[in-house]
Amino acid sequence: MQTTPATPDTDLQADNLRRAAIDKSVKGPVLFLFTNGAFWLMLSTVLGVLAAIKLVEPGFLGDCQFISYGRLQPAHINALVYGWGVQAALGIMLWIMARRSGQELKGGKSLLISAGVFWNITVTLGILSIIFGKSTSIEWLEMPKFVWPVLLLAFLCYAWPIARMFGRAFRPEGFMVSTWYILGACFWFPWIFITANVALHCLPNLGAIGAGIDAWYIHAVILLFFVPVGVGAAYYFIPKITGQPIASAQLASAGFWTLAVLGGWTGMQKYMGGPLPAWMTSVGACAGVLLLIPVGLVGLNHHLTTLGKHSAVATSPTLRFIFFGALFYPVSGLILALNSAFWTGASFQFTQSWYSFQVVSLYGFFSMCAFGAIYYIVPRLSGCEWLSVRLIRNHFWFSVYGVGTIVIMSLVAGWQQGNDLNNPEHWDQSFMNHVINSRPYVVSRAVAWALISFSNIMFLLHLLLMVAGLGRRSSAPTLLEHHDDHALPNEAHA
Amino acid sequence: MTNFRTFILGLAASFGLPWLCLIVLPAMQYEHLTPVAYDKDKDGVEGYFPPAPVNGQGQLVYIREGCNQCHTQMIRPVQLGLDGWYKGWGQDQEGRPAAPVRPNVLRDYLSEKYALLGIQRVGPDLANFGWRAPDANALHVHLYAPRSVHDWSTMPSYKQLYKLQKIQGPVSDRALKLPKHFAAPAGYEVVPTPEADRLVEYLLSLKKDYPVPGQSAAVAAAAPAKK
Repeated sequence: MQTTPATPDTDLQADNLRRAAIDKSVKGPVLFLFTNGAFWLMLSTVLGVLAAIKLVEPGFLGDCQFISYGRLQPAHINALVYGWGVQAALGIMLWIMARRSGQELKGGKSLLISAGVFWNITVTLGILSIIFGKSTSIEWLEMPKFVWPVLLLAFLCYAWPIARMFGRAFRPEGFMVSTWYILGACFWFPWIFITANVALHCLPNLGAIGAGIDAWYIHAVILLFFVPVGVGAAYYFIPKITGQPIASAQLASAGFWTLAVLGGWTGMQKYMGGPLPAWMTSVGACAGVLLLIPVGLVGLNHHLTTLGKHSAVATSPTLRFIFFGALFYPVSGLILALNSAFWTGASFQFTQSWYSFQVVSLYGFFSMCAFGAIYYIVPRLSGCEWLSVRLIRNHFWFSVYGVGTIVIMSLVAGWQQGNDLNNPEHWDQSFMNHVINSRPYVVSRAVAWALISFSNIMFLLHLLLMVAGLGRRSSAPTLLEHHDDHALPNEAHA
Repeated sequence: MTNFRTFILGLAASFGLPWLCLIVLPAMQYEHLTPVAYDKDKDGVEGYFPPAPVNGQGQLVYIREGCNQCHTQMIRPVQLGLDGWYKGWGQDQEGRPAAPVRPNVLRDYLSEKYALLGIQRVGPDLANFGWRAPDANALHVHLYAPRSVHDWSTMPSYKQLYKLQKIQGPVSDRALKLPKHFAAPAGYEVVPTPEADRLVEYLLSLKKDYPVPGQSAAVAAAAPAKK
């Protein structure tokens, strides 16, 4: 593997220098976010194991109030969303936007790091509050009231420079689908976050409308924040590593705008048949199914871009993760549609399929894309290469099998639970059937989270070694297979 | 720069429309929902709907413990689920009620900051739990040792809401009558803390199926016809 072409080209060298300068300018904040995010990820998966065990065997580790399922499960999800998800997303957004816009981060690095520190302290306090009995029971906003203004400010500290880079570099002739997505995520997240928090923490008597707003918040954060960052990263790295341009500009543009238009409408179908005005849940269900369009368009575009370059998927860690993340995107769209449509939703409502949707979109799709991005970005920032092929490979396979298991098992469990609930023969029965029938699925969830936790501990260690600068000193990237020395074009290493 | 502006405008417009229609306007419209009076001629009852405000103190304990992770408080209409026909899920505790339990409406959650509609149904729905609940003492036993009621139960024990204390003099009349396997050690008794009392009061107050003004007449008319 050579990183410099045989005939040195001055343009290319200048390009490389410029890239190195950009990387150097964002190094501190990005590595800070990634390492802290990886720590939260590991913690959240460990909490996931515990929560799943407690759902089967509530007496596990004693009847301690701090580790009952009702407190562990929100702690697990909040650590995954705010500890890992948003931090990893911000790191990726900052790096891709800097690279894509060709702008160095000018000043304010210490502000970014302190915003990151505040973010982590606040999330820590928030999750401890849930564990120690201050939970608000508002799904995804279980952390107490004082948390959200701090998180919002910290997020804006990052969003501002990202948006400025976009604004300065905007060229009408440039084709920048990944930056569209990233700017969209930057722009929508604060809006969604403020709306939901003001509505649920500051307005006194929303009642059932509050529950609807919360369901909308969860869907909006997934669809208009995590999905754009994941798709944006996929649009950036797939062409870069396969060396092929994005297959279709029209598909990319249509996929983006349909997501933007539909994403805000969905969510309230979670309470279909409930107290909310029927049009609100119907609109949500309709949008939830229509979202298959952007999902399909993006999936098709990625498929066409990767076509004929599948050997790179085996070789490059980044592409391997992103490829599977991009595969999980249509899956998450499908599960959303299944949960939303009335004829399947009647069975899936209030079952584990809801968890299935959260895990597939947050972990299967977003986190896999984020891992891919991290495997690409970190060597460029830390100046050394990943130490061990085996660690990366284990991380990949444990994640894929773990997430696959959780998603499939939760979905099947949801179907089982839903049919048990709606089975006319159970009209006068206690809940014994439901509890006993869903038990094996939760056991498999615990095992799968345990596998994932194991892989995440390795990932965290690997990342810490890299950040400490203890990686391989080599100009050749760590690839998973070396069967073909020319599998990757040179630009892939830039 | 116009392109940048158009792009931002596009982002704002595409998200702003659902934001306005789905969140802001309904929130403004329903924030000041008030109880409505029953019409004595049509509904056959007097007073206001809903009759009682929510038990806020007990709900705080419910919220803190994350009960809504496993229990919903929402009865779905019969075309969507079996909820309405479940035995004991409404006021009528008979095996075969004449009419299904009514689905919930907005006013059932009046004056609640955030309706605890629930996330999953690991356990049964609690919207109308007050009607089918056992008496307060039995409910305390259920909360203290769920497996003393059903050995397959996956509900956690809320022991922290109860006090294990040495028996001094006669046994307290508040002491839980626990089955042998779950009983306190000899010379000790388990009594509920005020928090446990509030939680039980809240659970016993969960009756979200009072007749809706204007709808109850139709239900009442249909009920005798079936008998």
